[in-house]
Amino acid sequence: MPVYIDISRCIGCRSCEVACKRVHSGHGHVNVHFVGDHASVPIFCHHCEDASCTLVCFSGALHKEGEKTAFDVTRCTGCGLCRLACPFGVVWTDKIAHKCDLCEGRDSPTCVTTCPANALSTDFEEASRRARTRAAIVAAHGGRR
Amino acid sequence: MTQVLVATVCPYCGAGCGLYLTVDKEHATGIEFMPEHPASQGALCSKGNAALEILDHPERLTAPLHRNGEEWARISWEEALDRVARGLVDAIKKYGVESVAVLSSSKCSNEENYLVEKLARMLGTANVDNCARLCHAPSVVGLNRTLGAAGMTNPIADIANSKCIFIIGSNLAENHPIISRWIHRAKDAGAVVIVADPRVTHTAWMADILLQLQPGTDVALLNGMANVIIKEGLIDSDYVAQRTRGFEALAESVKEYTPERVSEITGIAAADIIRAARAYAISPASVILYSMGITQHSTGTDNVQAISNLALICGHMGRPGTGVMPLRGQNNVQGACDMGALAEFYPGYRKADDPETIRYFQSAWGVGSMAEAGSTGEDGAGGTGAGNAGNAANAALPLGRGLTATEMIEAAASGRIKAMYIIGEDPANSDPSSKHVREALESLDFLAVQDIFMTATAQMADVVLPAAAWAEKEGSYTNTERRVQWSHKAIQPPGSALSDREIICLLGQRLGLPFDYPDAASVLAEINRVVPQYGGITPDRLTRSRSGLIWPCPNADHPGTPILHSAGFKFAEGRASLVAVPFKPAAEDVSRDYPLILTTGRVAVHHNAGSMTRRSPSLLEREPELYVEINRADAERLNVEDGDMVIVSTPRGQTEARARLTDGVKKGVAFMPFHFPGTNILTAETVDPEARIPEFKVSACNIARRK
Repeated sequence: MPVYIDISRCIGCRSCEVACKRVHSGHGHVNVHFVGDHASVPIFCHHCEDASCTLVCFSGALHKEGEKTAFDVTRCTGCGLCRLACPFGVVWTDKIAHKCDLCEGRDSPTCVTTCPANALSTDFEEASRRARTRAAIVAAHGGRR
Repeated sequence: MTQVLVATVCPYCGAGCGLYLTVDKEHATGIEFMPEHPASQGALCSKGNAALEILDHPERLTAPLHRNGEEWARISWEEALDRVARGLVDAIKKYGVESVAVLSSSKCSNEENYLVEKLARMLGTANVDNCARLCHAPSVVGLNRTLGAAGMTNPIADIANSKCIFIIGSNLAENHPIISRWIHRAKDAGAVVIVADPRVTHTAWMADILLQLQPGTDVALLNGMANVIIKEGLIDSDYVAQRTRGFEALAESVKEYTPERVSEITGIAAADIIRAARAYAISPASVILYSMGITQHSTGTDNVQAISNLALICGHMGRPGTGVMPLRGQNNVQGACDMGALAEFYPGYRKADDPETIRYFQSAWGVGSMAEAGSTGEDGAGGTGAGNAGNAANAALPLGRGLTATEMIEAAASGRIKAMYIIGEDPANSDPSSKHVREALESLDFLAVQDIFMTATAQMADVVLPAAAWAEKEGSYTNTERRVQWSHKAIQPPGSALSDREIICLLGQRLGLPFDYPDAASVLAEINRVVPQYGGITPDRLTRSRSGLIWPCPNADHPGTPILHSAGFKFAEGRASLVAVPFKPAAEDVSRDYPLILTTGRVAVHHNAGSMTRRSPSLLEREPELYVEINRADAERLNVEDGDMVIVSTPRGQTEARARLTDGVKKGVAFMPFHFPGTNILTAETVDPEARIPEFKVSACNIARRK
């Protein structure tokens, strides 16, 4: 399953960037963007349902495997169409395409494990579940104190 | 499969995150996360993730070096140690033992710090200190006075149990990123977060209430909050009556700090001061987290005491989710202080000016007897290797406070200190008014520097000794929550570099001291005997555990003490002290020539003076150069645009930096990170009168566009 971000938690430490690059032999697939003075948003592959990168990939290197937008390195021609097609700018080409592989072989994606603030999660519901819990507590206490 | 995982403790900040190194045929090939770690739960910040980059860095020091004019010559360990021993002994013979100063390192292990201070004191000099002087010396002085113990009162994970988290003078989101996860956890459970900082930082992003105060007005804010809490009857009267002394005087002293008056001093709206005070006081469990924004002031000790006042009058102490948390910046700055690498304390915070302390350690270290034995022979037993150094052991341990890190530099400049031995510190970059520091170090007769890289300080040395980095040695480290953890050795140091323990032992032996410790465990065993707080923190227990032990842990069956002060304080009647602290303005104010206030701090991808992170490619590429944050309104007046190179100047000197325009600093305030050599050229040497910490956080400056 893809990685989701709870922007209210991101502290802009860029740990995900450094960790992703470290485990992918120098090719990182996350970029933290700073908006205004202090909001920070990591941008990475959404593993889109109708993924533009898979639609333009004529060799079939980029393809869907269930929820995941998977990549078969043996079929990549390095044409770079995927890079142009990605609406989030998170497919790179350097001889071949590079994108988030959800850290295949690990228990969970590196960025999720390393995030000091627990801003990243593979659970789509997590951020909204937390919000509901907070709301419930506030209601029970008659407002925030 | 030859790959093994070796458990180590991250070499950067005081959070003490655990990480595994993947070791393949003697090489560290990767990092693996440690989900079972109690504070980090497997998380690592950007610095931790980049830690491997410094291990096999091409600039690592791999052989002892000797200065030959402008050149460096590689020399043998024999020759290097002889030269260092002779350099120290010559100064002692010529100018007396007070002319020697030793700077220990809060990057080194507990065992190494213990040996360094023992070496200095056995030579007879009281001048031993570490860079805690530049970060949390006011916490050591202030909290020891008010609470009787200097350290975080509660562990990091306990922040999750808090209902109100008051963060003042700490940008923990960048400096201790993993603490963020515990704050968010508390927020999810309904906690209110208050952040007081002159800047809108990444930490402020977590805040419900943001108090953007003028630099150097913390005491006024804290007194103002105490004023509201007392006036509105929100104090914990039972706690105040049973567990504290000095309330009447405190109540009297804060009377004049009305929200309106404090608003004028701090620039915070009176309503926000009242809101924050109420939120802190009425929550069932409130915690205060603070860091350099509190301590690096000429009123640092006052600031710390004002924090402890606030916690005490509300009774937010000794329970889960409460407490006072000084967040420490180096992986072992807590341990270096615990081990007595401080000018005013012997190991275990025994006061250096107490004759009982001296008697205790003379007996524990066998001091008088050994010096006598040495003086009867031609050459001390341990001095045989060098011959020239002989037995330099002093007949008695020094009584009284020695020179602090900053005073050492001052004394070097004035000629009182003639020889220095600096381990793992870079005062040429990290101390205030660094131009002056460099001149002082250059005027020394002899300077030995022991480090992993050729730092700016090492550049000025006569002899440079190559040391092992964290993964290349074993030992215990005490993180900011007082958790003592064992870091295992993963790989060999590069070239002929040795661990700090080995170097100190070899040097000690050359100087005639009985420094025969075959491994870190044998040093820790001695620490177990002489430092009561560490009595039960044995090598055996530490090496078997991933979560370590939190001191005080007096005996081998003791589980450690995560929460301090739950059964009162270690003063008479178990009462803590409330200390009235009047607000004093910062030493430097704006003037016509220097119309802006410069404050300093850190960024997430760098660490301290930057000798490691500026050599780490994946960190440097993310923050490659010195910058200065300027408020947009000021920038317009100065005719500076975002990205311009500007000259920042103070009475101490000037430096170039790239301008970053922001609304995150107030009008009239500028901010620079101190990871680059330029920043501390600017800062002032004014110190706190008690803790002797320099006022890094407030300097008057001027900014002009580079022509």
